[in-house]
Amino acid sequence: MTLAILQRTDRFVSVVWPSGLHGMNGYLFLLPAVALVFILVIALGYMLEFSLHELDLSTYRLKEAYSLTNYQTILDRPVYLRVLWRSLLAALIVTVITVFLAFPYAYLMVRTSSAATRKFLLVALFLPFFIGQVVRAYGWLIILGKQGLLNSILTGLGLPALDLIYNYPAVILGLVQYMLPFAVLLLTPAVAAISEDVELASESLGANWLQTFRHVVIPMATPGLVGSSVVVFTLTLTDFAMPEILGGGTSDFIANAIYDSYFQISNIGLGAALAILLTLIGSALVALMFMIAGTGTLAVTEAEE
Amino acid sequence: MSDKNTPFGFGRRRFLQGSALAAGALALPQFALAHGHTKKPSELIVRAWGGAWGESLKAGVADPFTAATGIPVRLDFTEDNEIKPKIWAAVDQGRVPPIHVNWDTTTNATISALRGATVDLGDLKGLDGLLSIAKPTGIDGWPLVNTYSYVYVCAYRPEAFPDGPPKSWRVMLDPKFKGRVALYDDGIGFNPIAVIAGGGTAADIPNNMEPAYAFYRDLKKNEPLLGEDADFTTWFQNGEIDIACTISVNARAAKQKGINVEWTVPQEGCKVDTDGLWIPKGLPENEEYWSKRFIEFAVTREAQEKWCSLLGLPPVFPGLEPPADLAGDPSYPTAPADFEKLVSVPSPILVENQPIWFAKFSEIMQG
Repeated sequence: MTLAILQRTDRFVSVVWPSGLHGMNGYLFLLPAVALVFILVIALGYMLEFSLHELDLSTYRLKEAYSLTNYQTILDRPVYLRVLWRSLLAALIVTVITVFLAFPYAYLMVRTSSAATRKFLLVALFLPFFIGQVVRAYGWLIILGKQGLLNSILTGLGLPALDLIYNYPAVILGLVQYMLPFAVLLLTPAVAAISEDVELASESLGANWLQTFRHVVIPMATPGLVGSSVVVFTLTLTDFAMPEILGGGTSDFIANAIYDSYFQISNIGLGAALAILLTLIGSALVALMFMIAGTGTLAVTEAEE
Repeated sequence: MSDKNTPFGFGRRRFLQGSALAAGALALPQFALAHGHTKKPSELIVRAWGGAWGESLKAGVADPFTAATGIPVRLDFTEDNEIKPKIWAAVDQGRVPPIHVNWDTTTNATISALRGATVDLGDLKGLDGLLSIAKPTGIDGWPLVNTYSYVYVCAYRPEAFPDGPPKSWRVMLDPKFKGRVALYDDGIGFNPIAVIAGGGTAADIPNNMEPAYAFYRDLKKNEPLLGEDADFTTWFQNGEIDIACTISVNARAAKQKGINVEWTVPQEGCKVDTDGLWIPKGLPENEEYWSKRFIEFAVTREAQEKWCSLLGLPPVFPGLEPPADLAGDPSYPTAPADFEKLVSVPSPILVENQPIWFAKFSEIMQG
């Protein structure tokens, strides 16, 4: 039975991918990536097309004529630039804090000699992946709310309750907590690639722990730092749920403005223009980071050499 | 208990079952018998709002409709603004739309009608006997049927207002309510009132909205929270807000859940609006037919009485009494004098200006 299935599969493969094409096997593995990029490019093409048509309020359809009205609207209305700036600033703050917190976590997870500690850190790292972003945001509402855990402790101590949610810092806090596992996961391979012998060699040459950390560990972990920074930065820049849930409606990011354009006011053209702008700015900033700090995890081979 | 045979030759239990079936068949609403020949769909999908809204539709319309026709009704709680583009795309691409009936705000339904996405409902029975607000304005025919009116009331926590209900919306500007005021996140329901609270008059709408924007700028200093229906209930429940502009249904549902919330119509008035039902184009003929029957049923006396009583809203079927807890309530307008306290903006004006008002509201609140 199994043999028959294998033979049939073999015949099918020899028809679909004859032996003459075996020299191109490498390209076959590229197909999923090419398909992904192809779909993305098509979607972006449509979006670009939509962004060049103004909404006709008498029919709620896009006008036939091409125009830059939507882009002009973005420039004319300070709210969009303000929201864009807020998103960029949050992306920067969250990246710095997250990577700062993720590095010691990854380092400890790799270097600890205790199997129990490593297991605990791994479980703590992966557990949040089973809980969606929205659920985690609501978790913060329970902890930071007016009658939440923290305020209950404060009022229990006779102190006044604080406004800890529905503001920008609450959004930043929620994002840092959400991004931390991503950053740790991207940093861990880079830290694991640093041989402990290199650190011992540094110390045997007279460097103290801090000097070793600064001049040996950090430079060798640069690919991981760049990779995690890029991922955290772009995920934060495009985030929707945290500002929506923890921002109280007044700390919107650019993704929330795109949602509003598409769904609240049914202006697909304006939403598409905002999305194109976000894609361009995000891509340009990532390219800039690569230019300044190298290509992160893509430079692993160089680092190993 | 024994189940002895009767003189007719079958058991008493069987006799009782048969009698119940016969009685049920006789009691079946007339429309169900009259439309029994068109093939019934396996289910009807009706987009609805959740919470007290969905529960009322289920108990007042969906369940009785199923009992009468045998067609199960599934409520789809997709956000109203999110189902809109899905329906539009389906209609434009000639696909079968994702729902049969859309329970929608009149403004959004009118926008869908302007896009040509709605089926004309002019042939529905019983429309002539409804109040005039059932008919949409500023658009030809019956692309939707308005089913009730509702008021965006001033809901408040009584502990925060020991001297009685707020008399004016301007109390929202009081620094002692900083961070404890809530509005809808798109300004819906409050824009016309903000004009009056900002020193303008109803006649200023829509050409001079500056008083509203001035009011919003002042309100922004008080750090209001912006959210949706469900948020208001949560915020009141958690003691996170003292005052909000929300639909009376939400305030009443919160109160019925034991949350200490009251509502009032302040001196500037409240916005009154309508919701309706409509059917997207592109459904198979039999499904469109039964979707129409669903809407037809929703505006019958029986359905309106139960549905609107559960919602606590004035129905479009004339002559129905308000629920006992809402008799004389300003949020349940019945007489012309009640409507004088409320501000109504015609749908065509809302459709044309809502995006402009939203843009300005957003600009101020995101500052």
